Amino acid sequence: MSRTARNASTGIGIAVVLALGLTACGSSGGEDVAADKKQTLTVWAMGAEGEKLADVAKVYEKANPNITVKVTPVGWDVAHQKLVSAAAAGTMPDVAQMGGSYMGEFSELGVLEPVDTKTFQKKDFFPAGWKQGEVDGQAYGVPWYVDTRVLYYRTDLAEKAGITKAPTNWKEMQDLATAYQKKADTKWGLSIQPSGLDTVQNFYSFLYSAGGEIVNDKGEAVIDSPEAVKALKEYGSYFDKGLSNKSVQPGYDVVKDFGNGRVPMFFGGPWHVTLLNEGQPQIKGKWAVANVPADKSSTSMAGGSSLVISKDSEHKAAATQFIKYLTDTKGQADWYERTKDLPANTAAWTSGDLADDADLQIFKKQMDTAKSSPSLPNLSEITDKVDQAIAKVTQGKASAEDALKTAQSEIEGLVK
Amino acid sequence: MSTTTGKAAQPAKVQAGPGTTSPAAGPKGSRRRRKSSMGVQNMAGWLFSTPFLVLFLVFMAVPIIATLVMSFTDFGLRNVTHPLDANFIGFENYTKLFSDEKFLKSLFNTAYFVVVGVPLTILLGLVVAVLLNNGIDRARTFFRVGFYAPVVTTIVAVAVVWRFVLDPSDGLVAGLFSEVGLTAPDFLGSEKLAMPSMIAMAVWRNLGTVMVLFIAGLQAIPTEVREAARLDGANIWQEFKGITVPLLRPTLLYATVITTIGYLNVFEEPFVMTQGGPSDSTLTVSLNMYREGFNFFHMGYASAMAYVLFVVIMGITVLQLRLLKDNTK
Repeated sequence: MSRTARNASTGIGIAVVLALGLTACGSSGGEDVAADKKQTLTVWAMGAEGEKLADVAKVYEKANPNITVKVTPVGWDVAHQKLVSAAAAGTMPDVAQMGGSYMGEFSELGVLEPVDTKTFQKKDFFPAGWKQGEVDGQAYGVPWYVDTRVLYYRTDLAEKAGITKAPTNWKEMQDLATAYQKKADTKWGLSIQPSGLDTVQNFYSFLYSAGGEIVNDKGEAVIDSPEAVKALKEYGSYFDKGLSNKSVQPGYDVVKDFGNGRVPMFFGGPWHVTLLNEGQPQIKGKWAVANVPADKSSTSMAGGSSLVISKDSEHKAAATQFIKYLTDTKGQADWYERTKDLPANTAAWTSGDLADDADLQIFKKQMDTAKSSPSLPNLSEITDKVDQAIAKVTQGKASAEDALKTAQSEIEGLVK
Repeated sequence: MSTTTGKAAQPAKVQAGPGTTSPAAGPKGSRRRRKSSMGVQNMAGWLFSTPFLVLFLVFMAVPIIATLVMSFTDFGLRNVTHPLDANFIGFENYTKLFSDEKFLKSLFNTAYFVVVGVPLTILLGLVVAVLLNNGIDRARTFFRVGFYAPVVTTIVAVAVVWRFVLDPSDGLVAGLFSEVGLTAPDFLGSEKLAMPSMIAMAVWRNLGTVMVLFIAGLQAIPTEVREAARLDGANIWQEFKGITVPLLRPTLLYATVITTIGYLNVFEEPFVMTQGGPSDSTLTVSLNMYREGFNFFHMGYASAMAYVLFVVIMGITVLQLRLLKDNTK
């Protein structure tokens, strides 16, 4: 009936046993092997990246015959747990891919090697990409690829609704949403998440554009600021006015509804371009991307992944060289060709497809100003409080002021 | 390899072995022999149980004890790599639990799920089993498989189907509603309806397990008893009340106990369908525990939750065994 629940409680137990039993043998550190010696690098990468990286590793091995790169693809759904267990057991791979939201946690665990800032320089990368790998001003991860959310909208339906240009500010976006619903007969105006896990990701474009933040640079909770209240009011108004669906189930995929015209607008990442081209070919040429409609500014959230080196690794020199290969201009352009992941290295954007494609320039412009979430060890707990505040507002159970006041006091207890 | 005579001689010799030696060896010899063979048997027993015992110790006993220890500490994220830095804080996790609104809500939700879900599952399981045991003769296997299929289907597939059934805009139920000119409610998106919808799904999914138990129980009832009752002029209802139910009692008890334990642990349904929402209305104790432990790394706190759930399950099970046990014997 509920095997997983039992596993959950057993799992907690196993974590401790592993922790108690294995840290002793894990933290020995050991001498570093020189980069030109014969050695094997172990690398963990997630999802689609994990599979594509093996090809790149083969190319790298040919150029560097002394190095064998062993890539292990890890599913995103188990990645976090697997990395935590590895950290507990002292069996972290030499190099690992890490999402921005993991960084605070793993630096707290003390398993990450600080980035060699002579080899990797901040100025070569998008600021938000670099910041994602930083904890308390110390860089632990080299940005590998970045992503940010932009506005996807149906141009054919907008025309039907009598609007021919992309919305540039909040008012224009809401007018467009209303026009879609009234004149182009769409079910909804804009797809944003009303509640549940990671709702905050949809809210970030509103929060950051209004000039708000969850936690500021000094590490203080500021989610009840007037800017944040304004952003949440705007977010909530889409639900009040029936422009957005109040009930979205976990695992909802917007792509299909965008294709059939029930949803004419949503905030999406770069991967949605491929998903739409491949999954909804019937609307090719009938949609476009635009920068996040602005309030004070047009600021979106930054996501993506960094590459980290394990503190216990004995192959730090070789690992550094391998990461350098993946993140320099050439490596990044090659990676874009293979995966369509947006390069974190800004110089990679100056040639080929990346420089010519108009849609990609929208992403680049958004990325220049995008903001990343603060790297805090208990980030998921903090954003959960914001998720709850958003849910209260979208379900009409509290005003934006009250909901954020509650969230503020809860988050104050969570930041040191 | 060997001659035909050799082959024939060997089995004969072995067969003769025990038969011929034991009478000749006398009482002393036979006792000694039995003793040593007992030792070997013991050894063999232990040897054969070792795989289970090792697995049980490593994956059950040790984690259970570790969880108990951890429930008295403030074990958090940092302690994953520095477990010995965790501090003992006595019963603090436990006292905190009972002022934690979220936990109390999850406790209430779980109770709701059990109180409504268990009787429904048992009752419907019994009805289906009786119908399948007596009524339909030809399509019996088909229906048994049909009712059992949800049990062996993975929850993700079940979730996909149920989301389609319950989808407020173009789902199956919404379609039926619009046939008669009504608008379907938003089953999983409404705080009032999310839990009943979840219960409906769980009952559908677990009916098969209970049904199989009851069918086995029904078939164990001797036909003579039924025949005797019929000869005495009992109608179907009297037969059901007077014979089927009393003789099914042990099965009923077992089915109730395992269903209750399963439902108290309910995790997958809300995890996949609603993530505990809307507004925590389907947040169960197990889901809450999973989140505290693996999303927020409050391992000590989550362990305390696990033990509270354990005590609740133990208490309810003991109570059920007492109440439902056959007192007439």
